[in-house]
Amino acid sequence: MVDLEKLRTVAKETISRDDVKYLIGWRQGTYGFRVTPCFIEEPGEAEQLIFSPLCTNNLASYLIVTEKLPLPRGEKPDTRKVAVMVKGCDSRAVVQQLIEQGIKREELYIIGCPCEGVLDLKKVEAKFPHILDPVAAQWGKDKIIFQLPEGVVEVPREEVLAQKCLDCRDPNPVIADITLGEEIEAWGNGEYQDVKELEAKSAEERWAFWEDKFSSCIRCYSCRNVCPMCYCKDCILDRLNPSWIYRSTNISENTAFHLSRAFHLAGRCIECGECERVCPVDIPLMKLNQKFSKEVEEKYGYRPGIDPEAKPLQSSYRPDDKEDFIL
Amino acid sequence: MSEQQFEPSVIAFLCNWCSYAGADLAGTSRIQYPTNLDIIRVMCSGRVNPLFIVNALQQGADGVLVSGCHPGDCHYMEGNFYARRRFTLMNELLNYVGVDAKRFNMSWVSASEGAKWKDVVEEVVENAKEAGPFEQFRRNKINW
Repeated sequence: MVDLEKLRTVAKETISRDDVKYLIGWRQGTYGFRVTPCFIEEPGEAEQLIFSPLCTNNLASYLIVTEKLPLPRGEKPDTRKVAVMVKGCDSRAVVQQLIEQGIKREELYIIGCPCEGVLDLKKVEAKFPHILDPVAAQWGKDKIIFQLPEGVVEVPREEVLAQKCLDCRDPNPVIADITLGEEIEAWGNGEYQDVKELEAKSAEERWAFWEDKFSSCIRCYSCRNVCPMCYCKDCILDRLNPSWIYRSTNISENTAFHLSRAFHLAGRCIECGECERVCPVDIPLMKLNQKFSKEVEEKYGYRPGIDPEAKPLQSSYRPDDKEDFIL
Repeated sequence: MSEQQFEPSVIAFLCNWCSYAGADLAGTSRIQYPTNLDIIRVMCSGRVNPLFIVNALQQGADGVLVSGCHPGDCHYMEGNFYARRRFTLMNELLNYVGVDAKRFNMSWVSASEGAKWKDVVEEVVENAKEAGPFEQFRRNKINW
């Protein structure tokens, strides 16, 4: 478990360095179970940093969407590093961004936080509704300890953890300049139970399932905006000419949108579950993404975001790749 | 429309160097094959974006075929290797959301394989016929 004192000391030291621009971390939100990402530029602000089961946001998303304004003439670019706190899954996002050369290693200072799983706020808020005061939470042995206004409550971890965390295989950061706390033994088995359940159904049943889910999509594009791997400057969804996918919300366009979104993450998705978390209509997007994770692992033995030296899956090939569906 | 009368429309993306030439050879050799195919010539099977397939289905295709050179014979050395990975995954995705597995086909046809081209087309059209008219997420079937 990450010691808060140590975290804040390390954060202070990091921000005090001359070559660090700012630090991206988590702090307590304004109400309830909310924890919000924060950008810390002064050592004094480091006191507000926390790391708890409520820190769900994937901070790697911020690294790559930072706006880089054109430099005024004669001015030198700011080459200082960005410090970022990462959980296991976030660190895989960072690695995948490095693989794709979206960011450079020397622009980053990575503070790794081994993570025992974060909460699914939908589950938590169903359990403890209408809590307005800020709530703290911490990991216990096989349980989560909440400091609610009415007192300390302990809940078994299976009841409140996000599904992706219950199946987690990388609780420890795969890349870090400094790691806080001790390494945690991974508990996930990589069996993709959800995907296999759906695969076992007939094509009609699967389409009925997805038709129901896709038709509720309101095309808010939250899933795209929050995704650490969706960082194209010119997204097909924003492009008007050619406009591949119309903006109307109907089953045809929604399906095309979800298929292309999922395909653009094939062999790239690091299963941080952010898309599913932010979805306002609860589309199980991770079932689409994990399908690819499963196929890519089974067919090509590839797991995105593990090895910074690896090549991206879809821009590499082996002459003996499987081709059993080809006529 | 009854099942017997149904004539599927199949969109085929053929690579310029092998499959298109193969289809051309089938034509000049006067090999008879089904006419349900609409051919779109692309420079390489690696040029075909998986979005093309989704878009073809949206716009009324009942089946899609992507055809390129045999692995190792690509005019651009490695284009079809990338295409192979891409469409293996795309095929899995389409099956997973419940699109009939028979709708999307891929084949390798070289410039000298006019006879194989005929077999491929017959199989693809037969597959599309079995799968029936595509209505799952067709664009013009929607009432606004």
